[in-house]
Parts: sequence; C-alpha cells; structure tokens
Amino acid sequence: MQTTVEEKETSMQTPAKTATRDIYLPSERKSVAGGGTPHVVAKDFSIFYGDFEAVKKVNADILSKYVTAIIGPSGCGKSTFLRAINRMNDLIPSCHTTGTLRFDGEDIYGKLTDEVLLRKKIGMVFQKPNPFPKSIFDNIAYGPRLHGMTDKKHLMEIVEKSLRKAALWDEVSDRLDKNALGLSGGQQQRLCVARTLAVEPEILLLDEPTSALDPKATAKIEDLIQELRGSYTIMIVTHNMQQASRVSDYTMFFYEGTLVEHATTPQLFTNPKDRMTEDYITGRFS
Amino acid sequence: MSERPVHEHIRELSEVLVQLSEKVLQNFDDALAAVKNQDEEGARRIRHADLEIDLAEVGLEERCLAFLALQQPVARDLRTIVTIMKINDDLERIGDLAVHIIERMPEIKPDMLQMFDFERMGHLAADMTRKSIEAFISKDRFLADKVCSLDEEIDAIHSSVFKRVAHLMKDPDSDVDQLISLLSISRYIERMADHATRIAHEVTYLVTGEIVRHNDVSYEKLVQSLKD
Repeated sequence: MQTTVEEKETSMQTPAKTATRDIYLPSERKSVAGGGTPHVVAKDFSIFYGDFEAVKKVNADILSKYVTAIIGPSGCGKSTFLRAINRMNDLIPSCHTTGTLRFDGEDIYGKLTDEVLLRKKIGMVFQKPNPFPKSIFDNIAYGPRLHGMTDKKHLMEIVEKSLRKAALWDEVSDRLDKNALGLSGGQQQRLCVARTLAVEPEILLLDEPTSALDPKATAKIEDLIQELRGSYTIMIVTHNMQQASRVSDYTMFFYEGTLVEHATTPQLFTNPKDRMTEDYITGRFS
Repeated sequence: MSERPVHEHIRELSEVLVQLSEKVLQNFDDALAAVKNQDEEGARRIRHADLEIDLAEVGLEERCLAFLALQQPVARDLRTIVTIMKINDDLERIGDLAVHIIERMPEIKPDMLQMFDFERMGHLAADMTRKSIEAFISKDRFLADKVCSLDEEIDAIHSSVFKRVAHLMKDPDSDVDQLISLLSISRYIERMADHATRIAHEVTYLVTGEIVRHNDVSYEKLVQSLKD
C-alpha cells in the first residue's frame, strides 16, 4: 500500500490538460468552451477535527465547468473536503483548517469572506433529498427571496428556469402550489438541485446525491449532471465508482485524508498511476 | 488477502486463452507437417481442429463480453479482459492461416517444398507466438519487446523467398501455380509472426496501459510489408 514519494508527487499534480499522449474524454464529453481554468485551488490544505487531521495537505486545481468526482473508502475525507468548499464544516465547532483553499482566487477561509454569499455561489445537494415542507414554488423561490427578490413575475421566471434546468418542469409545472414532500424521492432530489440553481451558483457540490435513489431516479440525476456540465463546475462525492466513471471528467481518489491521485477519469479508470488507486478501484483493497 | 471471485474469473478466462493458444500452435505445426508429407488425413484433422478453434474463440469472446457487462472492470482488470479479447482474435486468425496452408497442399510437390526453409520459418513464427503468450502469462513486457524484435528475421526470410520465387518465375518452364502457392505459404507464416507481434503489443498495453502498436519502427515495417 505504500507509494513512493516520487509516485505521490506525480499523481498529486493537477492533471495536465494535454498530456504527451492525449487521454481523450469520451466523445459525448467534449471539451467545454470557456472551461478548464482553475475554479477552486487547494494549496497544502488540511482539515482538522480537533487534533485529528481528516484531510491532509491537499494540493489540487478543480477546473471550471467540468465534473470532478471524488472517490475513496468511508472515512477517507472526501465529504469533509467537499463540505469545506462552501464552509459547511463551520457548523462543526472543533473543525479548523490550515493551508489555503481559494475560489476564483479568493480565500474561502479568509476573514472577510461572507459565508452566505459564498454558499450562494457554491451550492450543495446532499445524500438525502431535503425539500422544505413548503410548496414546490416556495422551495425554489426560497433562495432568491432570501437574497431580497420580491417581484412575483421575476420569481416565477426563476422558478420555471430552475425547474427546467433540473429537468423537472414537465413533471411539476401543473402543481407548483403542491407540497414538495409529495414528490417522489428522485423528483425531490432534482427539486433540491433546482433550488440550488435558483440562486445562480457557479459551483454545485453533490454529496452522494443518488445513494438514496432507485436506478431510474439515479439515471435522471446522472443525465442532469451531464446537462449541467459546461454551465457549472460540478463536484460529486460518490461511493459508486461506475457512477464516477460515467458522469465525471476528472476523478480524485482520497485515502486516509490524502489525495492519492487526481487525473482525468478515463486515465484513472483505465491506467491509474498509483498502486493504491488501482487496488481500490479494482476491489483489491485489503 | 485471498483472491476475490471476480479475479478468479479473470484468471479462468486467461487460462482458457492459453489453452486456445496451445491448440492453435499445434494445428499450425501440424499444417506445415501435413504439407511436407502430403498428408490428406492430417489435412482433414486440421480443418476439423480449426472448427473447434473457431467455436472456442467465439465462446471466449462471449464470456469476456458477459464479464464486461456484468462486472464493469476498470484499470488492470479492464486491460486484462480487453487484452484477452484481442489476443483471442489474433489466435483465431493464426488458426485460419493453418487452414490456408493446407489449402495450398494439392498444388505443391514435396521436392519443391524442400527448396525453401519453411520448417525453420514456421518454427520461428511459432516460437514468437509461444513467447508472446508466455509474456501474457507472466505480464512480461521485456519478453514482449523481444518478440517484436524477432519479427525482423521472419520478414527477412519472407523477403528472400519472394526474391527466389520471382527469379524462378522468369524461367519459361516454371510451374507458376506451384510457385505462387509456395510464396503464399511463406506469406502465411510471415502473417503468423505479425499476429505474434500484435499479441506482444497487446501485452505491452496490458502491462503499461500504453498503446504502442503504431509507435515503433516494427509497425512501419508491418505496413510496408503489407504494401509489398
């Protein structure tokens, strides 16, 4: 399980956009116009719960408008890293960080950073769908209203646009006033995506968004990720490696808090550079 | 850590491939011997064995496809299954070459056959194929590289056969049909060596993840030989 320093240094580099021998993204995942610039940049970024270093000196560039999957065994720090990006870990009193984590060049953990504004730009969807016990309309309009939007016509436009982007409009357009809790699990999860999109974020953080869904609802969420790719930077934590390989352009593999490998998804799933990655994705992990 | 069922399954598929390679090599040796001895009964057995090889090839491909669909392998496991499928295809084609050789048998007289060193050529091509399969078994990229380098010798022999046949054809009393058949046998053996080289390239992919078949000089030579 040990890797050499040299291997680690190589594998932890941000993947080159053009390798000497190109690793082609599948044809349905063409290059994104205007994408590929570092959107989130971690430099020696560590996250601690008290004395315990849950994420260890991560160095990585998350490229804009592409989908990055984060995989790794339970407890490896992948969700902790994801939640750090919109400072969800602030809710845990013992949690603190070292190093830097930047979003569009701004220090996410800077003293002047406004967490509310940050979370508007970096939205999050969780494992279990969590719609508010309100109407479908009010769920989507909640964020814009929180940020001061009151114009009903404009709110309606936002609700429709967000539901369309989340591929839910056709299923709910005739019952926007109905309680969101009456939707199926898959619809509720897409509603949560729509609710996140309503405040026009730049980044979507998805923390195991399909683990509570059946295969059909999972497929819809995966299709949705492909639809949103190119418009948003998307990061998805998943235990399902087939899902990571299906939906993402880049994959990060974490093990015991360390970012072991960060590469294009085709590269990582066909010819990983690190033995630990290889053993994990082929199920040889002991 | 004991081997997981999924990896046992990959090992089984690898073993089936190795067994197929043994059948194919035996049939190729038998084909050269049958032509040398004008053995009609041997030719019949070779055709029958080739049908078995074809069925085995399809069977192995179906098992690999089922594995891909059901197990969704990645990394080394994915490369192993893809490599098995590609080598399987090469072996089946070598099997066809054995049949092509015995199809030339009626047109060839044993005394003419002795003018050419097909025995040595066949031995070299079979040795390359055997080594390429050994490289697959032991995941030995250096042995795979060695197989690729052996292809030059076969190419040189084929080229000398070509020149000799061309020279003999200039004689107005030459038996052109027989000479063409002899040239064809040389060509079939040379093609077998090309398949061995391809298998070696596939082993290199298995070990390194890098597709090398269009990279090196030997590929250029292969393309040139096809043009010739």
